[in-house]
Amino acid sequence: MAGSLLLLTCWQLCETLVPVFIGLVIDRAVATSALDLLLWWGLGLAALFTVLSFSYRFGARLGYGVVQREMHRLRMEIAAHSLHPRGARSGLLPGETLSLATSDTTNVGFALRSLGYTASAVGSLALSAWVLLRIDVVLGLVVLLGAPLVLVLIQVLTPVVALRTRHHQASAALATGIATDLVRGLRVLKGIGAEDVAAERYRGHSRHARLAGIRSAESFGGMLGLTSTTGGLFLALVALLAGRLAVEGEITIGELVVVVGLTQYLAEPLEVLGSISAQVAQAHASARRIVEHLATPPLVAAGPTDPAGPATVELDGLRGEHLPPLTLRSAPGELLGLAVEDPAAAGELVRLLAEGSSAVRLAGSPLDDLSTTARHRLLVVAPHQVDLFEGTLRSNVDPLDALGPDRLVELLDASAAADVVALVPDGLEQHVTPDGAAYSGGQRQRIALARALAADAPVLVLHDPTTAVDSVTEQRIASGIRAARHAPGSDRTTWVLTSAPALLAQADRVVLVRADGTVVEGSHHELAADPVYRELVLR
Amino acid sequence: MSADRLATAAPESDRDLLPIASRRETTLAAWRLSRRHGGPLLGAVVSFVVVGLCALVPPWMLGRIVDTVGAGGTSVTREAVAIAVAAVLGGIFTVLSVAFVARAGEPALAELREEVLDKALHLDSARLEAAGTGDVLSRVGDDARTVAEALGEIVPMLVNSVVLVVFTAGGLFALDWRLGLAGLVAAPFYVLGLRWYLPRSGPYYARERVAQGERAEALVGGLRGAATLRAFGHQDRQLAVIEQRSARARDLTVDVFHLLTRFFGRSNRAELIGLASVLGTGFWLVRSDAATVGAVTAAALYFHRLFNPINALLFIFDSLQSTGASLARLVGVTLLPDRPVPGAPSGLDRPGPLGLSGVGHEYVPGRPVLEPTTLTLLPGERVALVGATGAGKTTLGAIAAGVLTPTRGSVTLAGHPFASLGTRAVRSRIVLVSQDFHVFAGTVRDAVTLAAPDATDAEVEDALRTVLASGWVRTLPDGLDTRIGDGGHTLTPAQAQQLALARVVLADPWFVVLDEATAEAGSAGARDLERAASAVTAGRGALVVAHRLSQAETADRILVMREGRVIEEGSHDELLALGGRYAELWSAWAG
Repeated sequence: MAGSLLLLTCWQLCETLVPVFIGLVIDRAVATSALDLLLWWGLGLAALFTVLSFSYRFGARLGYGVVQREMHRLRMEIAAHSLHPRGARSGLLPGETLSLATSDTTNVGFALRSLGYTASAVGSLALSAWVLLRIDVVLGLVVLLGAPLVLVLIQVLTPVVALRTRHHQASAALATGIATDLVRGLRVLKGIGAEDVAAERYRGHSRHARLAGIRSAESFGGMLGLTSTTGGLFLALVALLAGRLAVEGEITIGELVVVVGLTQYLAEPLEVLGSISAQVAQAHASARRIVEHLATPPLVAAGPTDPAGPATVELDGLRGEHLPPLTLRSAPGELLGLAVEDPAAAGELVRLLAEGSSAVRLAGSPLDDLSTTARHRLLVVAPHQVDLFEGTLRSNVDPLDALGPDRLVELLDASAAADVVALVPDGLEQHVTPDGAAYSGGQRQRIALARALAADAPVLVLHDPTTAVDSVTEQRIASGIRAARHAPGSDRTTWVLTSAPALLAQADRVVLVRADGTVVEGSHHELAADPVYRELVLR
Repeated sequence: MSADRLATAAPESDRDLLPIASRRETTLAAWRLSRRHGGPLLGAVVSFVVVGLCALVPPWMLGRIVDTVGAGGTSVTREAVAIAVAAVLGGIFTVLSVAFVARAGEPALAELREEVLDKALHLDSARLEAAGTGDVLSRVGDDARTVAEALGEIVPMLVNSVVLVVFTAGGLFALDWRLGLAGLVAAPFYVLGLRWYLPRSGPYYARERVAQGERAEALVGGLRGAATLRAFGHQDRQLAVIEQRSARARDLTVDVFHLLTRFFGRSNRAELIGLASVLGTGFWLVRSDAATVGAVTAAALYFHRLFNPINALLFIFDSLQSTGASLARLVGVTLLPDRPVPGAPSGLDRPGPLGLSGVGHEYVPGRPVLEPTTLTLLPGERVALVGATGAGKTTLGAIAAGVLTPTRGSVTLAGHPFASLGTRAVRSRIVLVSQDFHVFAGTVRDAVTLAAPDATDAEVEDALRTVLASGWVRTLPDGLDTRIGDGGHTLTPAQAQQLALARVVLADPWFVVLDEATAEAGSAGARDLERAASAVTAGRGALVVAHRLSQAETADRILVMREGRVIEEGSHDELLALGGRYAELWSAWAG
């Protein structure tokens, strides 16, 4: 970065020297008609341009490379924080985090980049002042004091411009967001014949963005106008002073040309400095958002423990807002069915198992004391919401390529995902698009179940794994889960939260959590006599 | 729908993108848009001309000051005042020009993006899904943004630079035509630079954009699936994908910038050659007394002033490549033909039967997913479709709802073929609710009134009561005004589907097709949703695709499908007595 600053300053100084050289050529060669001087100064000009061109090329490249690397690093930091093994309690939507990693990161990068241009602009202002001071003290002082004054004047409008720009960006982003939202929901819109209404709603947002765009442009135009007017008036003042000095014979014509050329050129670094301050304000807001995101606490509790014993699961009065106190123990090898009457309580139970609680003991240690590695080794809580990832069916089921071909076929059969694989032309190598939208709810659930089985965790928690699957397939899945994880002698533990009779009938034991907080347990057939169980499970 | 179908159709391998306009069509569309906003555009051009003229005053006056001093004059006040006046005037017209550009450009862009979205929303489902929703999203989002940014930056820069170049060059020639010609020597070198750069940078920009899209895809994929990645400990793999794609985008950006700096080097060369030529010519002219030192000073300063606008123009050539590509993608969508809207035929004022005769469908030629099937649905009749995934139920439902046009057979409503009725007439009478639920960003009221924008609050509340949702809606922080969807209050899948069903109540169609509308609700929520679904189908014809057989049990007629064919048909009791596939499904279901 330092090299880049040095080279860019050198470049800007050369740019400043171009009008000085023009003045010198005219003064020394053109005005005197001296051919040899013309050639010498011409060579000087060529040398100046060479230095100018190369210092820009390498200075800009160096700086740009640094900035791009920094942006990449920042982006990866944001991604790594969001995808931390312990999660991030950021409360941001994916789209918002994406804009942190793209547009906010870009804002910060640009501000970093403008550092180089700030330094070079200040450098060229200083050089101009120095040249002018050598020609005439008053002129030099006028430039030295006047330039900052002009800058301050321009700043008057900066807050207005920044405010309106932000408003414009926000309303444009909202319009884009609405469009995205409508297109994502297009199937729903088409089903209900609401295309016209949707288009009309978008039009409203688009018009709002249009108005904000005009207002933002107007304030920006105001700032441009102010910049060019003050710059021009400044130039008039310097021209008047220099002209008088020349008329009075205090400076030569050549010096006058240099002064005039320099002053004309001064507007440029002034404008650069003016626009940079607006950028910096924007970058500051972006940087703050990024820092806030990176500071969000983890979602999942973790400690130092890595227990070695068998993977027994114990709930010791585990409770939540909806979940009544729940105490139960599940020894390795058990296939446990959990029928929870209140769906909110079921969701909470799954969340507590996933995020950790001191009321849950796994292999004898409190869950929130377990290290992240130990937890991943022992426990997988498969979310009900199915996420498919870009890649192939195989990479979705077995991302780490850990399964042998026979075991994979076994698990695909157990989860009835084999049907899905059989339906597509490329089988397991079938490409999956980013959100896997091409697969129906039932297909997605089966792929997700295959993935959960493939993880082969000592303890697996499944939450409503078959809600979108037909009843015959559901039955196959129920026996498939038993075959895959609970063959005789197996020490795998599986908890299934469900109200599907087929799954519960396979369980070694079923625990019914009623909405009133009472808990009963027994086999599927024993519980069939319970009215709450009948209402919840039997149909 | 089409969930099953896309899986079979290998959507990624031969995605059929929406049209992209040719260069000619794009230019034509841009021209038409400009004409529609001709007033402010003209204002902008006039303002820019004034700004350009004002910009010429300082070098001209400075040249005069030099001449005055050289000729032993005594006052330079007039010249200084002229510069000051030009500065004020230039400032005022700068403000005007930017305002005019915005008043022409912003509405033009808004119209364009509104038209694109309108076309996209009215696209045939099959066409849209062949293209992929990502195609549409990237156009309405990224491409519209690219054009908007260009409008804000490039257009003022372009007009400003052209005016400055034309007037400064004109001024140079007016000053002394020989000095003007000397400056022109630089022109071929600028052209050479452009011809070196443009063919090299274009493909780079295209690749850079693709790489950035891939990077966003990987990021969003990871962020959306964060819970799953965490559950299985698979974060590192996704992070590696993100890292690799972000690095690729970074490298391309850096590479194309290297190219750009080499291009700038070439324009420095042209600057030097032009400047040397002007100064050298000036030298000879002054030596032979054909020009004054002041004139040469002004000419050199004019020429120096050309550096920035010319560089800006060169830079614009570069930006135009990427903006033009985006504009072509936007215009391409607007060029899609409008679907004909036939006048509503008479006889559609009272419900008539929905008839499917011999309809069959293949998404991929040679792979039929639905064999020719005939089915008549009477107003008020409730028919259930059951069978395993891949049996063709969804396809049949989509055809009945008019969302999918079958490759064989025909569909009629009250005796009129769908084609003769037009989409709007069909959609207002037949509604489809599928398992693809989506919570639209907006208020609860917005969500419910999508199909009936003029519904009153009382009607909305009635509809919510019908689908058993009025209870939980009342407990929301702002009732009907509560914001839901992305960034708002989170609804459960069951609640989202209840709102979808409330929409049906307000739309009040003759027929409703429910395709697994209660599937994603989870275990316990499904009961309420099933009751809501029955309430919605009451009094109208209904085709219900369901794996929850409690919904089939109460139907007037049940069709059992397998591998694209209806294999059993009858009432619940008849089919149980038959002891076939339905009986098998039922016994598995009842547990």
